[in-house]
Amino acid sequence: MDKFIVIGERIHCISPAIRTAISERDPAPILKRAKEQIDAGATYLDVNIGPAEKDGVEVMQWAVQLIQSEFDNVPLALDTANKKAIEGGIKVYNRSKGKPIVNSADAGDRIDNINLAAANDAMSIALCAKEGIPRDNDERMMYCQEMIERAMDAGMEVEDLLFDPLFLVIKGMQEKQVELFEAIRMLSEMGLKTTGGLSNVSNGTPKELRPILDSYTVAMAMQCGLTSAIANPCDKRLMEAIKTCDMILGKTLYADSYLEL
Amino acid sequence: MCIERYTKKTTTDLKEVQTLAYKKVAKKYSGKIKEVTIGTGDKAITLGGRNVLPLHAFDGEVGQSPKVGLEIVDEVPSDWIDAFANLYGDVQKDAATWAKYVEETYAPDFICLRFEGADPNGSNRSVEECVETAKKVSESVSLPLVIAGSKNVEKDSEIFKAIAEALEGKNILLLSAQEENYKTVGAAGALAYKQKVAAESSVDINLAKQLNILMTQLGVQKEDVVMHVGCAAAGYGYEYVSSTMDRITLAALGQNDETLQMPIITPISFETWSVKESIATEEDEPNWGSIEERGIHMEVSTAAASIASGSDAVIVRHPKSLEAIKYYLNSIIG
Repeated sequence: MDKFIVIGERIHCISPAIRTAISERDPAPILKRAKEQIDAGATYLDVNIGPAEKDGVEVMQWAVQLIQSEFDNVPLALDTANKKAIEGGIKVYNRSKGKPIVNSADAGDRIDNINLAAANDAMSIALCAKEGIPRDNDERMMYCQEMIERAMDAGMEVEDLLFDPLFLVIKGMQEKQVELFEAIRMLSEMGLKTTGGLSNVSNGTPKELRPILDSYTVAMAMQCGLTSAIANPCDKRLMEAIKTCDMILGKTLYADSYLEL
Repeated sequence: MCIERYTKKTTTDLKEVQTLAYKKVAKKYSGKIKEVTIGTGDKAITLGGRNVLPLHAFDGEVGQSPKVGLEIVDEVPSDWIDAFANLYGDVQKDAATWAKYVEETYAPDFICLRFEGADPNGSNRSVEECVETAKKVSESVSLPLVIAGSKNVEKDSEIFKAIAEALEGKNILLLSAQEENYKTVGAAGALAYKQKVAAESSVDINLAKQLNILMTQLGVQKEDVVMHVGCAAAGYGYEYVSSTMDRITLAALGQNDETLQMPIITPISFETWSVKESIATEEDEPNWGSIEERGIHMEVSTAAASIASGSDAVIVRHPKSLEAIKYYLNSIIG
């Protein structure tokens, strides 16, 4: 019944502007991207500070407090390979608008992030992968089971896990696409929440094609039950697709101005 | 043998049933209907505030008890059945006197003053005359006022605008802004003179939502908007009204759709007193019983159904209907 959730991906240290802002502790570029994404309809914001091996805790705490204090405690996904930085970020996180999301755990080396999330009453993205790309959906579902067991042992509610079937690039892995929708269908039929790095699908394609590839993929995935995505909310075409799918699927009520909401 | 086996089996079944004890589960919703206040002072009323389906006190907060208003008209009504002339007599000749009488005698939650006389196809009373009437009525009562028009969209825009200005500070509700005139009524009523505005859609969920969005885009605060989502007399397509209200309520509460979290007002009497059950004379329909009672029955059935479907306020015409609905509400939610 719930509306589709967009986790805005644009605060990412892969962007030179953000990387510089983080290293210089310059709020302006980060706040600008946060505002753009919230205005465009993002519910959560992803905060990717990179590996942050040296000063991860400090950087994450600075970013979390900066963004939450400016934007009414907007909920965040804490995105780094540095576990201490995630824990540090959660310590200063205000959960009045939603639990923090740990980005991310998988069934391999990063499975302990599920315990980290459980210990801190956080949600976690659960990547259905162990080493590299899963061979097929049997493998995906096996990883999914392993993570569910880990979560249950840790006393975590399964609804606090967002299963990521691992969206793959279309250009180069075209033959893998249909199977991915089937994986989303299976996860959703198990009653699980799902998410994924949607922009992966259009990686390496011409700029003008990206909104088209992303929005058709999200529409097909939503029909299979996808409940959220890490995506670019500033992509108008993508947001139109998401709002239209939500409306067609009966999650929102139609009005002539539905795209303006 | 057969009986023995049957008995044995039944006992086992019963044991199984007994182990499945009833567990009461409250239905929780993420959304809540906003509260909108009409009128001023001690007699001001507040609509809305619930986070459960109408009257579902066992699930959560039912908010403000639904309010019941009585309808009066700016001139002696020509199409009301004789029973009302007998009831009100000369009081009907002056809207201010009528309003005061209604307040003192029947104590409704609010008064709905309908400007039937403004109708260009009827008495065509001028905007100035209507303002004068509204002022006098407002001075003679302390109950909150709901101002209804003549059903002529253009004329209504004019009188709403003028009355909103004249009664500034009285916190009246203008019934209503429609797709054709929401800009005038919304801008004058809510923005310029801080009154409340009802957004009217005729039994159309998508239009109900759209009008609320448009009003918000105009700059009107959500707390200043009430919805009039349409009405029909029981038996005259009322099921469609009911399902519309259900759908709106479920979107507002279940989907937390902020564009639909406004309380609903339903002018019951505008519909029920023109259907044949309420107006056919006793000579024409000797088997149908008292015309006055028939009208009350139609009005009470429709009003009770509307409250059960999600109306936070209803407007009725007969004081007996007011009494019956008040009794119904007190009995259900106290």
